[in-house]
Amino acid sequence: MDGEAGDFRVKVLTRPRYVDMARCIACGTCAEKCPKKVKDEYNAGLSTRKAAYVRYAQAVPLKYAIDPDNCIYFRKGKCRACEKFCPSQAVDFEQREQTRVIRTGSIILAPGSGVFDPGKLGSYGYGQLPNVVTSLEFERILSATGPFQGHLVRPSDRKTPQSIAWLQCVGSRDPHRAGNAYCSSVCCMYAIKEAVVAKEHAGGDLDTAIFYIDLRTHGKDFERFYETAGEKHGVRFIRNRVETVSPVAGKDDLSVAYVNKEGRRVEEEFHMVVLSVGLETRPETLKLAEHLGIELTEGGFCMTDSFHPVRSSRKGIYVCGSFQGPKDIPQSVIEAGAAASAATEGLVSVRHSRTKRPLQPLEINVRGEAPRIGVFVCHCGTNIGGVINVPQVAAYARTLPGVTYVEENLFTCSQDTQEKMRDVIKHESLNRIVVAACTPRTHEGLFQETLIRAGLNKYLLEMANIRNQDSWVHGNNPEAATEKAKDLVRMAVAKAGLITPLSEPEVAVNPKALVLGGGLAGMVAAKSLSAHGYEVVLVERKGLLGGQARSLFTTWQGEDIRRSLDALIQSVEADPRVEVHLSTEICRVEGFVGNFESVLKSGDREITVGHGIAVIATGAQEYKPDEYLYGNDPRVMTQLELDRRFIDKDPSLSGLRSAAFIQCVGSREPKRPYCSRVCCTHTMSAALHLKELNPDMNIYVLYRDIRTYGERESLYRKARGKGVSFIRYTWGGNPQVLAQEDGLEVRVFDPILDRPLSFGVDLLVLATAVVPYRDEGPAKLFKVPVNENGFLVEAHAKLAPSEFATDGLFLCGMAHYPKPVDESIAQALAAVSRGLTLLSKDRIRISGVTSRVIPERCSGCLGCVQVCPYGAIAPHQETGAAVVNEALCKGCGACAAACPSEAIVLMGFDHREIYAQIHAAFAG
Amino acid sequence: MVEKPFEPKIIGFLCNWCAYGAADLAGVSRLQYPAGLRVIRVMCSATISPHHILKAFQSGADGVLVGG
Repeated sequence: MDGEAGDFRVKVLTRPRYVDMARCIACGTCAEKCPKKVKDEYNAGLSTRKAAYVRYAQAVPLKYAIDPDNCIYFRKGKCRACEKFCPSQAVDFEQREQTRVIRTGSIILAPGSGVFDPGKLGSYGYGQLPNVVTSLEFERILSATGPFQGHLVRPSDRKTPQSIAWLQCVGSRDPHRAGNAYCSSVCCMYAIKEAVVAKEHAGGDLDTAIFYIDLRTHGKDFERFYETAGEKHGVRFIRNRVETVSPVAGKDDLSVAYVNKEGRRVEEEFHMVVLSVGLETRPETLKLAEHLGIELTEGGFCMTDSFHPVRSSRKGIYVCGSFQGPKDIPQSVIEAGAAASAATEGLVSVRHSRTKRPLQPLEINVRGEAPRIGVFVCHCGTNIGGVINVPQVAAYARTLPGVTYVEENLFTCSQDTQEKMRDVIKHESLNRIVVAACTPRTHEGLFQETLIRAGLNKYLLEMANIRNQDSWVHGNNPEAATEKAKDLVRMAVAKAGLITPLSEPEVAVNPKALVLGGGLAGMVAAKSLSAHGYEVVLVERKGLLGGQARSLFTTWQGEDIRRSLDALIQSVEADPRVEVHLSTEICRVEGFVGNFESVLKSGDREITVGHGIAVIATGAQEYKPDEYLYGNDPRVMTQLELDRRFIDKDPSLSGLRSAAFIQCVGSREPKRPYCSRVCCTHTMSAALHLKELNPDMNIYVLYRDIRTYGERESLYRKARGKGVSFIRYTWGGNPQVLAQEDGLEVRVFDPILDRPLSFGVDLLVLATAVVPYRDEGPAKLFKVPVNENGFLVEAHAKLAPSEFATDGLFLCGMAHYPKPVDESIAQALAAVSRGLTLLSKDRIRISGVTSRVIPERCSGCLGCVQVCPYGAIAPHQETGAAVVNEALCKGCGACAAACPSEAIVLMGFDHREIYAQIHAAFAG
Repeated sequence: MVEKPFEPKIIGFLCNWCAYGAADLAGVSRLQYPAGLRVIRVMCSATISPHHILKAFQSGADGVLVGG
């Protein structure tokens, strides 16, 4: 790579796959015929694949490849069985490595991470003892597409294990043996998940035990999962770091030695041991980083700063995912969005400059015409034709009412057939098309495209799935499969005769964004939207910008928050594209994606603003406790109150002789059964600041689990190194605090010493929960869901963490879940990136599959309003009949089912069409 | 005369986003099952009303599967 930000030249090497992607139809014949078996790396080497293979069944695109390191032809010059049997001539042994140069303005690094190799630690017997597996191997064992078809069996004898132990922190939090000091962040949660899934697979008798140091379930809804695993599923949690696994003589079982609650060393036998291996940057990624000249952290991850969490040390190069630091799926997805937004901020002037738009012919009006149905029956090589008698199905199709044209194709999806289909549609004046082939889920779009190019409305297509749901699943019964294919074609033709063209209404997009919340997340979102060229209305209910970040002293990396925050506030206020409304609340919202209209209220003044999207960043606040003498004794304070003293350089702090921190105040308790994520790290930073002010200060941290996830673990290690004492307590055995004249007395039971402790301190800091604002105003106005703890609910916990299920609405910051500065900023950028997908279009199309009310049939009972999950239906102001807002409707059809008089139809799937399909199913 | 064994004909209303995809995946995995199922793809299983189910039985279905 050379060049610089804005103009990089990147040389990319593409290895040959020896299969022509355009021709491969993913039938699997090459793999079936390939004689060479090799270890399947996708199944962690527990099963075999062929040298002609697809990495996994759900791969996208689903195209095969030939692995030249194992292919017999490449090794010995003979074979080429795949080439001979491939029905679509896709195998191409002439393919060569290709290099090409890509010119680009920004680069995003998302190389992911590898896992720690536990073979490096001899004491676990990994590699020698077959029933010691890594968590990734166990993951494959549990999978239906795994080596044992999802049956929970152990590798040595393929017997169902009755007991399984998970050993946590293998290769993590272990600077000496493994060389990785950081916490891998994801292993506690995946181990619990694996234990629960294993129990579900095996039934109630399976004994599962997780050996851990600290249980780290700091993600949204993770704590509840952990509790349920213990209470409902009976997963045993044993706080102990296990160092060795030994074989049991004469059996394939394994012995695990640990120290029990009573402090005695015990040995327990398990049928299987799973090593919860940590994440680690791969050697090739380290090399890439060196080549690109970007800096790495101590743990070998890409260096970023908290205010630019996806920006590497080299200008123009961005990063996301586990190369940025160990993290789980939601956080990786958030960073992916953030990187996309950050990397394109500087490229606004060239946006769409390389975009090509297809030309579309005018649509032919077929309304009122009698159906002229064309049926295309696909052989799919031998995939369909090898089982189903395709000529018979085609001949049968000719007899069906409305069918005027029938054709058999070797591959209906191939480029040349598509071109031919376009001509046939014109010449035969076809106005409905039935394709009997594979599944609409993968190919409907392709055929719709051909219809559009032939001038037909794309909804005039119906598919009969005679491959995935017929020939492939009835290979052993060709006659029945052929009969079924006829039925499926008849059903498709019956529906095709009734389908009508659907319009995809276009709506203009107002290229303006509303951002609710002037805290860190809201401001970052506003600035980024502005950098992308869009106008922003930023609404803050308080009289000043900054939110909770105003009260924070430093980030976990030691950066001064106040300085960066002040700079951000200034740049927001100076930005001509950002209109700031302080002391303002939102009181009314109307409209839908692209065209919202909101009423803002400030005192008695109301103004209406139009906006295409909205970002909700309303934040959360610190819990003000009523326990531990808080509010009654000035020596007791919250973390933010202590931060305030750090910010103000309070001279009294350095005079303190001792201080204690109590963790989980208000978190992880029945009232608030979630982990507040930020408090453990915050306490480490604060304890270290106090130690800096007075190295002789005695500091105690009373905790339940220390959750300094990722590289934050370094702070915990540093705090221990500086002599901070950590004393564990359990829920129910909470510490007691008494006010004495010369200080505060803290009493707690120490489980390691197995006796009560009592000590005096000058200062008590409560690490209190992060609690959402309970006023649900914005959530109610925008009709977005709130969970039982008061946090906003995203569209999908893993895959869509920064947007709502309702189009055009996005979320970020602590309104979603407690999170530190860097993660709030990343999510703000992610919300922007999602929003840009709408703002960057002048107009958006709405799917034609929406519900429609036939007003003369509607009695106005409004049952549909009750069942609509998207709030898309409302009664007409005058007639009282239901009216569907197409822009909000997602086409689920729940209203159509709920309507007692079938007054609502789901376009494309209406009652008549479904009844016709049902009827046709039995009309053979 | 040999009596044919009873082979039920079943109407399956399958949600495009989950159960229909699962039926496709069964094909990709080449799982074999009896050929009596006739699938009607819907956009959400919520769109299936009792009328559809009754209509299926009226038309001769031996069973109805709603997958979603």
